[in-house]
Amino acid sequence: MNRKIVRNIAIVSAFFIVTFSIMLITNYFQIRGFNPLQTEVIETLKQINDENSGNTELQEQIRQLDLLARRAYFVSISHLETGVYLLIGMLVVFIVAIRYYFAVIKNVPEKEIDPIDEWVEKTKARKYVNRAAGGLVTVALLFAFLSSPYLDSLKNGKPQDEKTVMTEMKNEDSTLSGEEYGFMDDSAEVLAENTEKPKENVSVTAPDSTPTDKPDSTPTDEPEIPKVTYNNFRGNNSSAITAAKNIPTTWDLNTNENIAWKTDIARQGYNSPVINGNKIFITGADEQARELYCYDLNTGKLLWMLAADNISGSPSEVPETSHDTGLAASTVATNGKQVCAIFATGDLICTDMEGKRLWAKNLGVPVNHYGYASSLLSFGDLLIVQYDNSNSPKLLALDMTTGAERWNKTRTDKITWSSPIITYIDRKPQLILMGNPSISSYNPNNGEKNWSVDFLSGEVASSPCSANGLVFGASEYSSLIAVDAISGEKLWETNEYLPEVSSPVATKDYIYLATSYGAIACYDAKNGELKKSIETDTEFYSSPIIAEGKIYLFSNSGKAFVYLANSELTLVNSFETGQRTFATPAFTDNRMIVRSENQLYCVTKKTIL
Amino acid sequence: MKRILKILGIFASVSPLVAEAQNRFPKPDFESGYIYPEFSYFVPDEMLWNTVDVVLLTIMMSVVAWAVLHRRKRAPVFIVSIISVLYFGFFRSGCVCSIGAIQNVALALTDSSYSMPVFVFLVFILPIIFTFLFGRVFCAGVCPFGALQELVNIRDFRLSKAVSSVLGIIPWIYLIFAILYAVTRSRFLICQFDPFIGIFRMGGDFGMIILGGLLLVASVFTGRPFCRFLCPYGVLLSLFSRISLLHPSVTPKCINCDLCRNACPVDAIRPPYENKIKESRAAGVNRLLVYFVFLPLMGLSGALLLHVAGDSFSHANKNVRLHELIMQNEANPQDVQPVDVEVFFSQGGTIDELASRVSEIRRQFISYSTIAGALIGLIIGATLINLSLKRTRKTYEIDSASCINCGRCFDYCPKNQLINKTE
Repeated sequence: MNRKIVRNIAIVSAFFIVTFSIMLITNYFQIRGFNPLQTEVIETLKQINDENSGNTELQEQIRQLDLLARRAYFVSISHLETGVYLLIGMLVVFIVAIRYYFAVIKNVPEKEIDPIDEWVEKTKARKYVNRAAGGLVTVALLFAFLSSPYLDSLKNGKPQDEKTVMTEMKNEDSTLSGEEYGFMDDSAEVLAENTEKPKENVSVTAPDSTPTDKPDSTPTDEPEIPKVTYNNFRGNNSSAITAAKNIPTTWDLNTNENIAWKTDIARQGYNSPVINGNKIFITGADEQARELYCYDLNTGKLLWMLAADNISGSPSEVPETSHDTGLAASTVATNGKQVCAIFATGDLICTDMEGKRLWAKNLGVPVNHYGYASSLLSFGDLLIVQYDNSNSPKLLALDMTTGAERWNKTRTDKITWSSPIITYIDRKPQLILMGNPSISSYNPNNGEKNWSVDFLSGEVASSPCSANGLVFGASEYSSLIAVDAISGEKLWETNEYLPEVSSPVATKDYIYLATSYGAIACYDAKNGELKKSIETDTEFYSSPIIAEGKIYLFSNSGKAFVYLANSELTLVNSFETGQRTFATPAFTDNRMIVRSENQLYCVTKKTIL
Repeated sequence: MKRILKILGIFASVSPLVAEAQNRFPKPDFESGYIYPEFSYFVPDEMLWNTVDVVLLTIMMSVVAWAVLHRRKRAPVFIVSIISVLYFGFFRSGCVCSIGAIQNVALALTDSSYSMPVFVFLVFILPIIFTFLFGRVFCAGVCPFGALQELVNIRDFRLSKAVSSVLGIIPWIYLIFAILYAVTRSRFLICQFDPFIGIFRMGGDFGMIILGGLLLVASVFTGRPFCRFLCPYGVLLSLFSRISLLHPSVTPKCINCDLCRNACPVDAIRPPYENKIKESRAAGVNRLLVYFVFLPLMGLSGALLLHVAGDSFSHANKNVRLHELIMQNEANPQDVQPVDVEVFFSQGGTIDELASRVSEIRRQFISYSTIAGALIGLIIGATLINLSLKRTRKTYEIDSASCINCGRCFDYCPKNQLINKTE
């Protein structure tokens, strides 16, 4: 072939390669992070559709737009792939052409008249190696110095006053996320609210809180902010295991031993407390009102209260509920920025941490013969609502800031009273729900179902638990099963002791559960073998929580049990508190918050106050 | 032209396989109750492909050994390079590769709980055995990374001996650190910073693709930059090649035309040399003595230096990072509690347990870093000693440690072509 032609082919292909590379790189940066399905138009139309359901024309329009967006996406992907193939093809053409062009030009050396002497080169090389070694040593020394603890202490150990540090911390927008550590899902952040002084202008007259012992610190002291949050029913992710430390194993409500404070609750409710920063949240409801309460963790004072009223679609008459469920059985959820509460009327409200109402909506009055009882679950900025009922069961994910629906899945399961949990499998979150007849796993980011296993029957009120890559579900009218959270395969099943209302808790080795007929049981997590059972002659609705390797559990009659979380269920302490207890306690460092039938109280080691 | 058509033909037959990779996309929601059918995917028989890999690896190295040592021809090596790029590179996505297998072997040697697949061991050991027998036949064109650089190389601008001597230390340091991070179960550095994998897979880390692209551009103008100045497996093979039973030699009855030296992409052919610069014998001996005395001292300094830095290196370990994250969180409870910490506690982890694991990891890092530092010091010292030796050569010689058996010198050698023609 004519060398000139080959050269021209090489030039043309080189020009093409450069142009195409620039285009592809530009395209890469343009489409990076762009989600074609979440266009403003589609989202707005979906929101309009949510508000006025039944508009078939609008729904058809959304479907067409969705289809168009999908088609556009696949076309752009196809174009990108074609582009890459074209580029590679042209690269091959260029290399072949250029190799062919140069093939006849042998790289003939010119005879060096005065060749560089090898020894001179070696001398120069020694010099370079010495310099490089010196550079390496300098870099290593610098590296060692910069990462030395001495430098850290110099940096942090300045006698900087605490106030300055606190101000800096408050102003700092901490962006530390899992992504920095190779964990890509950033939606599961859990925030502890910054410290703030209790609001002076409380909007309601607070029931008297009764601090039982004068704390050592003066009232002007800035209260210490507990680092451990407890954002949902049974803690963060509803895992039932808390990182809280220094929790007493004994207390006495009569003598106020290890009791920081106790306070009356305005309205009844079987929901459990949650804690974020220095704030405790619970709800209460009766036929007159549905209310969200915020208490001060340190004093037990009611900081604010918000009524769930003036909500569009809210029923004029409250639905009938059984006495042991009531109108406020669902526990609230917070993410440190917002707090949301739901009632048996279907009313859902969300406020900021100061009690300023952000949004409210009625999800449709649930047909539920005992009363709606599933607790809310926060997952980053998402609020997960397991809206199981007899008329329109669904699973919702709402934006906690705006209330906008992120996704919505129709549930095919029968009515339940169970609550959702989040578990992390291979560092990816899974949303686990008990239904009837299935225990199911969903992707909390988009609601796609991962797997489901049918095994439940009857009335399901207990919630699932998870540890070490396994998911466990149990209900009195069916069995206790273990499911591989990756494959969704049922690993084992047993039915000796089963919970009715109380939910189990799992560690990597064992599962602990409490039944409504007074048995506490420990199973081997690997094979379901019953390791230990204890008859207590009482009944349990409250769920066991593990803190510092100990299981804390309350019977309905108010008897507290503390066991070591081992296969023997070694008893640490058990005693009567004197107050009937149905709710599950909440924990943070040094404190346990218990909601009894009529009171909220704080258990703490007195010495630390 | 036939060669060009062959290349295009093979590429065209492989490209549809690459197109199988598709992005995931959320499925539409159906309110009509439509249930998606269950999908079942055919799982490829990986065992079969691994066997094919090993067999092909052996055959290709044998072909190169035959071509270079027996036939003294480059053409078969070139064809092997194309097959290697297409099969080991694009079709098998450059994994498992012998270079990365160093880490598996290092981990298996130090951690009895790690069981290394036989296939990985074979991929690691076969090139070493062949190198011991026939020189670096693996580097010639069987390694897809080397082959890719070989195929795009057009002109060969020579780097000065001084610069290449300094750059030649980098692969040793890279090898030592790769082993350090592998044996501490922290990360597989070689896999993480593989510059060509993104090209073979047509996707991946943007930075690595750019680095791979730059290395390829450099390969157009200079021979094998990755093999010479980065490849950690290359330094291992160079050790075995130094003592190999057979290796390429300069054509008998060399006419000293210098064409072969000029053609060598890795500067492995040494011309005849006689010392021209006269230095007193005493000065040369003194320098050597000083380096020999300083050799253990350099080892010790390196050991001491990395002993100090060892704890900092441990930050690459995910458990150490998690522990630090928890400690930071303990110290600053107002800060966002990172998801990793949440997950750790929610799965029943305890700080004490993690702390004891972390202290063991740190201890390992400090002791292995000390060894690594000593080795780096010794390597720098040995390089200096090597650069202080004066050798006189009467004829052209091939440095068997550097020679990659590419056979390019045979193509240029007029004497060799004459011999081939008469045969």
